[in-house]
Amino acid sequence: MSVISNPTTLAGIRRPERPASMPFFLQVTTMTWRSLVTIFRTPAAVIPGLLISAFFLFVYEASLGNASNFLPGLAGKSYLAFILPVSVISSALSGAALAGEAIVRDIENGYFNKLLLTPISRGALLLGPMIAGALVLGLQTAIVVVVGLLMGLRPETGVAGIAAVLGLAVLLGVAFSGFTVSIALRTGSGAATQGASFLFFPLTFLTATFVPLSLLTGWIKTAATYNPITYILEAMRSVLLTGWEADVLARGLLAILAMAALTFSFAILSLRARTRRR
Amino acid sequence: MSNREIVAENLVKRYNGNVTAVNDVSFRVKSGEIFGFLGPNGAGKSTTVAMLTTLIVPTEGKATVGGYDVVSAAGEVRRIAGVALQEIGLDPLMKSMELLTIQAQMFGLNRRQAQERARDLLDLVKLSDVTDRRVGKYSGGMRRRLDLALALAHEPAILFLDEPTTGLDPASRRDIWNEVRRLNKQLGMTIFLTTQYLEEADELADRVAIINNGGIAVEGTPADLKAGLGAESINVTFRETDDAERARSELAGMAERAQVDRKTLRLYLSRAAESVPAVVNRLGQTGLEPVSLTLTQPTLDDVFLHFTGQRFSAEDMPEAEVA
Repeated sequence: MSVISNPTTLAGIRRPERPASMPFFLQVTTMTWRSLVTIFRTPAAVIPGLLISAFFLFVYEASLGNASNFLPGLAGKSYLAFILPVSVISSALSGAALAGEAIVRDIENGYFNKLLLTPISRGALLLGPMIAGALVLGLQTAIVVVVGLLMGLRPETGVAGIAAVLGLAVLLGVAFSGFTVSIALRTGSGAATQGASFLFFPLTFLTATFVPLSLLTGWIKTAATYNPITYILEAMRSVLLTGWEADVLARGLLAILAMAALTFSFAILSLRARTRRR
Repeated sequence: MSNREIVAENLVKRYNGNVTAVNDVSFRVKSGEIFGFLGPNGAGKSTTVAMLTTLIVPTEGKATVGGYDVVSAAGEVRRIAGVALQEIGLDPLMKSMELLTIQAQMFGLNRRQAQERARDLLDLVKLSDVTDRRVGKYSGGMRRRLDLALALAHEPAILFLDEPTTGLDPASRRDIWNEVRRLNKQLGMTIFLTTQYLEEADELADRVAIINNGGIAVEGTPADLKAGLGAESINVTFRETDDAERARSELAGMAERAQVDRKTLRLYLSRAAESVPAVVNRLGQTGLEPVSLTLTQPTLDDVFLHFTGQRFSAEDMPEAEVA
């Protein structure tokens, strides 16, 4: 649609041809790039997260490293490979917190409104920081894996297996961050957003965190059975410990996609609620 | 020529059911017009702008921008409207070139075109030499200019400026005024401008609406609004009160009313600016030497008081120095 029909110039500036709008995919990549730029311009916010997951891995392995000798089903296998996905999932939480915090920052400095006033797709506007947070998480996971390799991790599926774990971690980060973004949009508060990201913490422990699901009993077994994290853990573990198991991987991927669909819908609804309420 | 009107019909915005920020506001802004939306802090100006620009959804009523409904055709409204809100919308961690490029890309320019456009706009707002600096390091005036440049990235047909000069020094204020006039004249942009300053509306607006307590108190051309008001005054200050008294006896005949306030003589007349030369001549003949001579024109306070019966709370514009 041509809005300005006469070819006058803006204070002598040549007027570009009236374009169509930016394709959705490019909107998402542009918003992701922009979020990454701002995230890495405050390195102090990123570096602790990068290191803390590797720290967890050290501690778990040091204190529980011999456990596989006592655990039925794990005998003769590497506890390191068993516990590493737990480290990865806890770093997914911090990646998710980054996305929510980025939205709060934009709301506070007014840039969020500036973007809302452009024709950018509301989905792309939210996906940008979510994917950026997840990519930082991917980096975090890569560091965990490198530390794991140095500690003697030998994944059954080799390099492809590591790539699969990284891929699952990034997707999980997107799924988690839909939730932190929703809280950011509803409250506009950094403290509330950080608090909300802790809500996911129990999820990472109400599951087969330290021992396989088959060894759990009672209420925690029930909780773990319904906890999507269980299936994501199992998918990562099977890749590292056993080899390619299509059904386990599919269950893990499905669990992530279900979570992502849920949290992203919640985020879009939260954005809509924001324009009604304000 | 395409439709560049803004039409508001009985707009209402209520929060939490009972706090009414905007109450039954209606107006029509014609294509190519500069429309001044005048009122004190908290009158409902920004809420009205937020509704017209699709940032918030009206509780009741209807509005169209360029013929597009702000609720059902919000996407089209965003495409043709440029907006600079009162709260500047810039990410302090980013650089001006990055912000402008993204902005232009969102309106469909490819990366190369967007960068070219960004450079042109940076020239326009005189920020070309600080493109490498993060926006967080900019002064208030620089941020305001960059924010305006962002609003212009897609050459909007309709431009919304929410208090574009609040907090600016007089020189920056003049720059913005000149730019607003140029955009309106050269591109035929319809400009919806909110302000707390009568002088600003007077300088720029073809028509003005005064908003108070969420409703429109009066609407008309600046000349019409002022016509209904009290007289303007010429204020001459002397070194001694005696001089002021002497000046009054000499000059009282020239004014509708003359009054001495300590060392200052105030001459009230309906066309004060035009009478300045005569007053200066007469002073010369008497041999009295004034320290300063200022001109007071009706302020928003006066207009406001007249049409609403209440005092206005905005800070006054500085008096115009003529001698």
